Amino acid sequence: MKKKAISILVCIVMVSSLFVGCGKNNSTDNKDADPTKGAASTATDATAAPKKIKEFTAFFDRQGIELNNDNEIKQIIAEKIGAECKETWLTGQTAEEAVGMLIASGEYPDFINWTPQLQDAGAVVAIDEYLDKYPNIKNFWSESQWNTLKQEDGHIYSIPQFGNINEKLMDTTQGGEAFWVQTRVLKWANYPKVESLDQLFTLLEDYYKANPTMSDGSAVIPFEVLCYDWYYFCLENPPQFLDGYPNNGRCIVDPLTFKVSDYNVTDTAQRYFKKLNEEYKKGIIDPEFMTMNHDQFLEKISSGRVLCMVEQKWDFQTAEDAIKTQKLEGCTYVPLGITIDPGMKSMYYAANEPAVLSGGLAITTSCKDIEGALQFINDLLSPEIITLRSWGVEGVDYLVGDDGLFYREQAMRDNAVSSEYKASHLSSYSYFPNFSGMNPDGKNAMTPETQPSEFFEGLTPEVQECLTAYDAKTYVDLLDYNVIDGYEQPWYPMWSFVGEMTTETPGGLAWTKMEETKKQYLPQVVIADSFDSSWSDYLAAYNKVKPEDFFAEIQEAVYDRIELVQGKRPTE
Amino acid sequence: MENTKLKYIKRHKKFNLKSSLYSLMIGLLLTVFVIITIYPILNTLAVSFNEALDSLRGGIYLWPRKWTLNNYSTVLHKQSIMTGLYISVLRTVIGTVLQLSVTALIAFVLSRKKFIFAKPINLLFVLTMYVNGGLIPTFLLNKTLGFTNNFWVYIIPGLLSVFNMLVIRTYMNGLPDSLEESAQIDGAGYLTIFAKIYVPLCKPVFATVALFTAVGQWNSWFDTMLYNRMAENLTTLQYELMKLLSSVSQLSGDANVSGLTNSSSSAQVTTTSVLAAATILTCLPIVALYPFLQRYFVSGLTIGGVKE
Amino acid sequence: MAGMKHIKTERVKDVKVKITWKEIVKQRELIILSIPFVAYVLLFSYAPLIGWVMAFQKYKPKDGFFGSKFIGLDKFKFLFIDNPDFIRVIRNTLAMGVINLVLGFVFAIAFALILNEVVHKGPKKFVQTVSYLPHFLSMIIVCGILKNALSIDHGIINEILVNVHILKEPINFFTYKSLFWWIVGFGGTVWKETGWNSIIYLAAITAINPDLYEAAGIDGAGRLRKMWNITLPSIKPTIFILLLINVGGVLNSGFEIQYLLTNGLVQSVSQTIDIYVLKFGISQNDFSLGTAAGIFKSLVSVILIFLANSAAKSAGEERLF
Repeated sequence: MKKKAISILVCIVMVSSLFVGCGKNNSTDNKDADPTKGAASTATDATAAPKKIKEFTAFFDRQGIELNNDNEIKQIIAEKIGAECKETWLTGQTAEEAVGMLIASGEYPDFINWTPQLQDAGAVVAIDEYLDKYPNIKNFWSESQWNTLKQEDGHIYSIPQFGNINEKLMDTTQGGEAFWVQTRVLKWANYPKVESLDQLFTLLEDYYKANPTMSDGSAVIPFEVLCYDWYYFCLENPPQFLDGYPNNGRCIVDPLTFKVSDYNVTDTAQRYFKKLNEEYKKGIIDPEFMTMNHDQFLEKISSGRVLCMVEQKWDFQTAEDAIKTQKLEGCTYVPLGITIDPGMKSMYYAANEPAVLSGGLAITTSCKDIEGALQFINDLLSPEIITLRSWGVEGVDYLVGDDGLFYREQAMRDNAVSSEYKASHLSSYSYFPNFSGMNPDGKNAMTPETQPSEFFEGLTPEVQECLTAYDAKTYVDLLDYNVIDGYEQPWYPMWSFVGEMTTETPGGLAWTKMEETKKQYLPQVVIADSFDSSWSDYLAAYNKVKPEDFFAEIQEAVYDRIELVQGKRPTE
Repeated sequence: MENTKLKYIKRHKKFNLKSSLYSLMIGLLLTVFVIITIYPILNTLAVSFNEALDSLRGGIYLWPRKWTLNNYSTVLHKQSIMTGLYISVLRTVIGTVLQLSVTALIAFVLSRKKFIFAKPINLLFVLTMYVNGGLIPTFLLNKTLGFTNNFWVYIIPGLLSVFNMLVIRTYMNGLPDSLEESAQIDGAGYLTIFAKIYVPLCKPVFATVALFTAVGQWNSWFDTMLYNRMAENLTTLQYELMKLLSSVSQLSGDANVSGLTNSSSSAQVTTTSVLAAATILTCLPIVALYPFLQRYFVSGLTIGGVKE
Repeated sequence: MAGMKHIKTERVKDVKVKITWKEIVKQRELIILSIPFVAYVLLFSYAPLIGWVMAFQKYKPKDGFFGSKFIGLDKFKFLFIDNPDFIRVIRNTLAMGVINLVLGFVFAIAFALILNEVVHKGPKKFVQTVSYLPHFLSMIIVCGILKNALSIDHGIINEILVNVHILKEPINFFTYKSLFWWIVGFGGTVWKETGWNSIIYLAAITAINPDLYEAAGIDGAGRLRKMWNITLPSIKPTIFILLLINVGGVLNSGFEIQYLLTNGLVQSVSQTIDIYVLKFGISQNDFSLGTAAGIFKSLVSVILIFLANSAAKSAGEERLF
């Protein structure tokens, strides 16, 4: 009898456990709490009773820091506007996988980053009918810009969050790409004018001959190239800049003829890689560049040994911080706008507000309070909240001078880079729409990093000296200043289009294969004994994957964007 | 008499020399092995106590260069770590006990040589190790069964591990058939035989499987992310750590988008040290658990060596 | 040496019992016990296989399994006919799978046998604890250490090799295609997993009857001979079962370590099926491609399993089914 009882018990446990629904430990705190309840109570009570704060959820298919639930500034903002949002980020999956699973499950957070797949799946809500009610949102972009966001059915589904320049750009640092060189190299040569590729390498060679080691005996690395995984842009995209074109990401677009061309196979590209090949043979380029991973790259930069590299600032910012803490003299970097020949205009830095927008923040069909959500975005764009998001709390995160300019003390600056502080105190709602450039008050910059006075405080003496020698006040002054008019060049930047391509189209498939081919062959081209034969091998493999399909698709997209903004399509 | 005695002594003397050389070899091999294997642990430990920005430079081997407890504090102060710890412990304990019981029982059934359906059921189970519907179908199935925002998603879908079942089954196959036969003669049913005879004898393999299961439960975070992401009180330790680490390391990305967004938001925090600290914290419990199970592995140890 | 011969472990004697109603009634307890488990497996492991239909469709998450457009064998065509790369990728996966398999087994078993020889409990426990610790390090950490150790820039392996004059100057190990698979094998499997893999064998060794060793000792067997003739054959069933299981999994030789260690120069030998699927499938929102590759892997695994199992059966060894 006992054994029968046990076997029956086992069966019951097995079967019943299959049907346990939300019974067990599923208590409390569903963050998708019904917001309509909140809406009702906020509407009725203007008296002493505490406001019910609406809670929204958001998921962004990027990496990000998860904030604590009791994050201080988040609560301050919530008090002021009556709503808050729990943001979740990508963890352990690729963006496509995460979004695919959401679509498959049919359940979404309230806010999400727009992707073509979500649009296709009918997961996002049209917002154009509501825009008039929310002036902050409506005025965020211009009429023609909103126009470019219309989907096939004529409705608008997303609000792009970035790239909106308020008044003027206050950029002090070159956030984008450049040839970064250590100040000590320039100082040693008495701050010469370095414009062309050849001039740069000659300078590096000379400096290296005179100073082959660091003070602790370790060898200097004159030129570094990072090509690990998706960072391989450091290796492959200089040719477009060297020819004086701006960062369209994947191609060159002639502003006069609107024709698309391939920077991978231009003469400049060949000259550039041939130069790298020569320099590699001379020992100027790090012999490990093609096999190192990102951590090893940061190690080398942090040690202060690398004289020069092509990079984007955000990628080595932490390494530069490490250099500063070690107090290595002259080892921080300034940008140079190198072109293939001297005397050319470079477009590394281009101030631009794109004319054609895509993607952005979207509200999903799972959101039960669309108007509340829009109100939330709207309120986040009010001047007071913007300052709270970007600067923090006055008196705690920044102080106001008599001239109305914001400034920070050292303790505040240290806090701003501590991850614990960020999680518990700062809340920028970074993937919600926000301005760049100036703060709405018209005096200060949007962020502490772009505030000129703050910027100067952060400069090391060697950089100050270097900038002064070149008659510059900011890093950006060292580069040619360009403005790209959104109307004149409506296709810019093309990388926003390429980012949405998938292998479904022949162009997208070609693009994926082109990337694989470039990753495989370009390092080999640089280290090859015989450059010419290696280069032709590369071209052969490259042409085999049908790049013409890719560029045909891009060309069409360029024409599409022109038509969208200027109203007419260019004829061949 | 004398001769045999001498012969005996001679033989033992030869034994001793050969035996000592043998022991020496063993000792040498194992020492090399230990050095190679313990290095990454000590290195990780050192990095975890080293200042994050300084770790970027590399060059840390066995000892921290700039001592700090900041990395641990970053990890431990992460909100929900405590809830995560609690749930992780809960799921490890419950999961291990349930999974072990279930797996052991079916292993026992399938190890019965006379069981007529043994072969087809074995085949059915074994195939599951190699065929997989994919992430999306599995996800949809679990969702339909109500396993979202639910603690039991940590236990039920993984209840039967075919691998562990095979390990136990193999072990039980090695036990003499006479055990079953004599018990049956005494009139015992299968459940009794299982509980009273096989379970006590299978302690080493149960310890092994318990260890595997416990480690599996302790380390998993993917299920938390898929099913319980929005349920804060059901989060696990590993998932919280994963979120912390994902916020700082980028496995894929678009340079241009990063440029746009990074210029407006604060710079990233360095990972290596935080990753190291997180790793040390997560393997501590297992290291603490292991000695309790180890006695099952070590019990047969006097056998291999020379019994002097 | 006569005592040695008795180490024939009792093996699965094929007991042929006819399936008759009488027999079913007689074994009803076993049958009832197994029903819930069979149901469980059918639900959790076989029901999701409906998803395999995705491989034959242009699957879009919003359309689900039954609404997506049917495209027949297009995805398979893409993999095998349109892209010769995929064959190369299969070769890579298989090569690394086999190398990992062999290295994993040899070292785990050898380690278990050697560790078993240690008499004193203290050192033995210490060595064993240390041995499985690398298993808990994430692949990111392990690859970071590997990269640094093999670096041309003061990496420790280069330093040692140069100092003992095996090398004239440091070499960049990661530029050599021929070395990549071995780096993955020794770094990822041997170094990281030997200790952990040996746990099963150590557990199995505890089941060995001590009398066997005594008998052998009396016959004059030395320690090496005891290990070879007693310990090793006694854990043969465990070895065989694990071998069979792993043979089936040979196409799953990995993703993370290859992804983290690869670079442009060795790309052609480092890409595994999973990485390929990530690049051309998942990252492009093409879930169908992933499913198609998955079906292929399952097919190969099942074939291998059947072959290996029959081989084990005819050799009279422990087998899966």
